[in-house]
Amino acid sequence: MALGKTTRTVIGRTLHYAGLVLFAIFTAFPFIWALSVGLSQDASNIWIFPRAFWPTDPSFGWFIRVFHEMPFMTYLGNSALMSFWTVVGVTVVSVLAGYPLARLKFAGRNLIFVAIIATMMLPSEVALVPNFITMKHLGLLNTMTGAILPNIAGAFGIFLMRQAFEAVPQDLIDAARVDGATELQIMWRIMVPVCAPSIAALAIFTLVNEWNDYLWPSIVLNSKEKLPLAVGVFNDLTGPFATSTSLVMAAIVMTIIPVLIFFAFTQRYFVSGLDGAVK
Amino acid sequence: MKTSNSYTTIAYLFLAPALILMGVLTFWPVGYNTYLAFQDYSIADGSSTWNNFANFKYIAHEDLFWSALKNSLLYLLIVPVIQLAALVVAKMVNNKLPGMTLFRALFYIPVITSISIAGVVWANVYKYDGVLTWLLQSLGILHDQVNWLGEPSIALYMLMIFTFWKGIGYYMVLYLAGLQAIPSEVEEAAILDGANAFQRFWKITVPMVKPTILLCTLLSTIAAIKVYLEVIVLTKGQADTYTALFYVYDQAFRNYNFGRAAAAGVVVTFFCVLLAVIQFRMFGDDKK
Repeated sequence: MALGKTTRTVIGRTLHYAGLVLFAIFTAFPFIWALSVGLSQDASNIWIFPRAFWPTDPSFGWFIRVFHEMPFMTYLGNSALMSFWTVVGVTVVSVLAGYPLARLKFAGRNLIFVAIIATMMLPSEVALVPNFITMKHLGLLNTMTGAILPNIAGAFGIFLMRQAFEAVPQDLIDAARVDGATELQIMWRIMVPVCAPSIAALAIFTLVNEWNDYLWPSIVLNSKEKLPLAVGVFNDLTGPFATSTSLVMAAIVMTIIPVLIFFAFTQRYFVSGLDGAVK
Repeated sequence: MKTSNSYTTIAYLFLAPALILMGVLTFWPVGYNTYLAFQDYSIADGSSTWNNFANFKYIAHEDLFWSALKNSLLYLLIVPVIQLAALVVAKMVNNKLPGMTLFRALFYIPVITSISIAGVVWANVYKYDGVLTWLLQSLGILHDQVNWLGEPSIALYMLMIFTFWKGIGYYMVLYLAGLQAIPSEVEEAAILDGANAFQRFWKITVPMVKPTILLCTLLSTIAAIKVYLEVIVLTKGQADTYTALFYVYDQAFRNYNFGRAAAAGVVVTFFCVLLAVIQFRMFGDDKK
């Protein structure tokens, strides 16, 4: 069969894009349906496919009702506050721990590094019960501190920072030491600016993870006014609320939108910031 | 030059916040959990007493725990599927054709969605008159309406599809980072030699991203054996979908039997470590 080179390229490209579009439909259809249902003032078509993927009698009515039916803004504020403090905590702790592990020689370095990495293999969920008891003893049950504390120091952040710091040229550090800089100055003046992209990636990952964290906050927090979005909205949606699918889907869309906006602005870091972790 | 002794002090000062937090909230729980596994723990006064392996004896004879363990092991089926698919997808978006940024973003959206929220949508997708039923009916594969999450024979596989949907973007990004380290000349040379896309994938891409494959396989194996959030948000353990960690959660926070939960947790930890060791043996030998 004598197909021209151009013809083959065209067929190849078409198949390539067809595959990508099919897969995009697979990953996006639940959101498209949720959006369409939320926008449909008239709910009679939401279970009739494929009609349901297009809103019937579009309006923002259901979205407005969400504000009346659940303390959405309270949840949103809690999520924002928890995410902010977690990002600050994770970044500071990981940068501080990553620097000596990458650049200083000291007794016990390998042991500590291996121990930290090994925690990635363990099921951290086994810590739910002991941490619940610890929080009880510390009097941190039903507090924001208790809800974010276990997420502050983690192997992923420390590992990512260590990998980033290891890639910084030794000359920079030596030059600073000759000038009499302290280790804290070296870290703050040289390491942090040079590794800013990796730190940004860590902050973004942490923010998204904390924003979406469901289980631990749902165990530690029990007053409704302290819940973050992922917990509060889920509880309300699977509780008495569940009677109206339209309302449920509107609330879901509203929960996802902040993350989507954030992702749209930061998505280029998602790939580039991970380079160090993989190599 | 400073002596290494003074570095030791500085190093530990820098490490202190991480070590204290991890010590209390990551390492201590492992030990305390093991201790609890051999105790009767009283929620009311926080006291605990040695019970001579009663927790282990109990779960060893409980069908529910065994079926939970079986389901967790069965969940490992998802690992090769999700890894191969993620690598293929990563390969497909790793080029300079227009629109690739958009596709990457679309594939990544499930990853950045909270599992509880995504679970609510999928519970509706899986309803007997939901999207899945419609799709299979219009393709002529299915005639009746199926309650996808209510049938014990299929519910677990429905959870796997949800896990696949939620996780593939994450592995895709990791593979993308690995793929971008491959020099493009290698592939161009193979094209000149007349290798087709299939051959190039198996003979060039797969060997060159082997370290990433090891990392991702390890991550997804451990994630699969630890699966339980899907169960919490989708089925609450109905229709034979208990997994080992869901059993732990269920015993701890619905039955308030912390000792029994801890014992089951020890068993899960054992399996995690075992699988990690097996994988390092299998892949680790010829790592650069």
